[in-house]
Amino acid sequence: MIQKKNHGDLRIVLEVWRQNGPGAPGAFEEHEVMANEHMSFLELLDVLNEQLVESGKEPFVFEHDCREGICGSCAMTIDGKPHGPRDRTTACQLHMREYRNGDRVRVEPWRANAFPVVKDLMTDRSAFDRIQQAGGYVSINTGSAPDAHAIPVNKENADMAFDAAACIGCGACVAACPNASAMLFTSAKLSQYTLLPQGQPERDQRALAMVDQMDAEGFGNCTNHYECEAACPKGISVTNIARMNREYARATLRRRN
Amino acid sequence: MNSFIRFLNSSIGRKYVMAVTGLSLTLFLLVHMAGNLTIYAGNEAFNEYADLLESNPLLPLAEAGLLGLFVVHVLFAVLLTGKNKTSRTDRYQANLGMGAKTVASTTMWITGPVLLVFLIIHIWDFRISKELMKEYDLAQMVVDRLRHPVGFMIYSGAIAMVGLHMWHAFQSAFQTLGVAHPRYRALIQNTGRLITVLLVAGFGGIPFYLFFTG
Repeated sequence: MIQKKNHGDLRIVLEVWRQNGPGAPGAFEEHEVMANEHMSFLELLDVLNEQLVESGKEPFVFEHDCREGICGSCAMTIDGKPHGPRDRTTACQLHMREYRNGDRVRVEPWRANAFPVVKDLMTDRSAFDRIQQAGGYVSINTGSAPDAHAIPVNKENADMAFDAAACIGCGACVAACPNASAMLFTSAKLSQYTLLPQGQPERDQRALAMVDQMDAEGFGNCTNHYECEAACPKGISVTNIARMNREYARATLRRRN
Repeated sequence: MNSFIRFLNSSIGRKYVMAVTGLSLTLFLLVHMAGNLTIYAGNEAFNEYADLLESNPLLPLAEAGLLGLFVVHVLFAVLLTGKNKTSRTDRYQANLGMGAKTVASTTMWITGPVLLVFLIIHIWDFRISKELMKEYDLAQMVVDRLRHPVGFMIYSGAIAMVGLHMWHAFQSAFQTLGVAHPRYRALIQNTGRLITVLLVAGFGGIPFYLFFTG
């Protein structure tokens, strides 16, 4: 059957990482997919998976949820760049109009020992959850909602806290870091509380607990390349890392035990 | 566990040690470089300066402090780099890169050990060997060393390594210490670059001057 080529159609050669489980040997598998420039990158993978299912083969496992750039589920390194070539864009918001007909694209999982591969492109990122559980919370009185503006917050701090809170926990910072360090993530999660009055009661305890958990998970140490900031789909700044360093030193000096 | 020990066992604590010792060593290099410049005023001026230093009764103390700084800087570099190199054992197949890292930042773990090897040669050349001599003319030792093609190559190469190491190190140390207010970011970066250029020109000029005028 001759298929008529529609306007905006692209032929993409995908090399996708196939790995059966943690520690199993993996390899790239090459597939040709017809894409349309309006598709997102995840939709391209959907098309590929449909092709595979139709021909009786196993589809690739990849994570996805909201597909609108805010959940942090999609995690894949596209041609050596976490989330692909477009700045401040998650893989789900990356559209095929970034590519040209005949392009060859390599897709592999996040690679870090603290993020073991579950299958194909899916990694276990629960290390992030454990860092968050160690100190990423505030003590609040539950019950009726407090009055708005009952606690005064400096505008500059509110803005910085909001910027830090924009972190979606996708792990692109770890994936992009030459040392697989989680300092951008941890510092963003720490900063969003440290900058606000509600975060003060646990301030020291939080810095110590989150950094200690981060170290225990086996992430590398930051050597200030700032690749994380460049890879972050939310543009989280490395000034958060500097803040975390200060906070950790301050908490060490103030600790009683 | 003692909180200080806990700090030194943490990623951030170890980075603090690297930053503090690194900045101290930078300060030392600037003083060392300024002293070296006396060789442009002739061998006598250089020897007079060396005498002045050597006759100071506090010199052994300063030397011990300096040795301590180097040992701690190297030791913590080994600890930190060891963990960094084992945090990703399954490597990427494609070239990983967002374009933020530099040649200087990615070669710190290479320029560091190379400088350590150079340091051992350098200390042998001008510190240990003179202990074995009854009489010595330090300026003449420097001139002989740097006019020899091998000596010239080692010393000018090492200074290039210092430049590469320092290009990344200065701003990196401030970021680690938590001094990274956006208003001072450019100032810190430019100060680091200026110090790097000063060190390379100050130290590096001497082998070139001696080798090509000799």
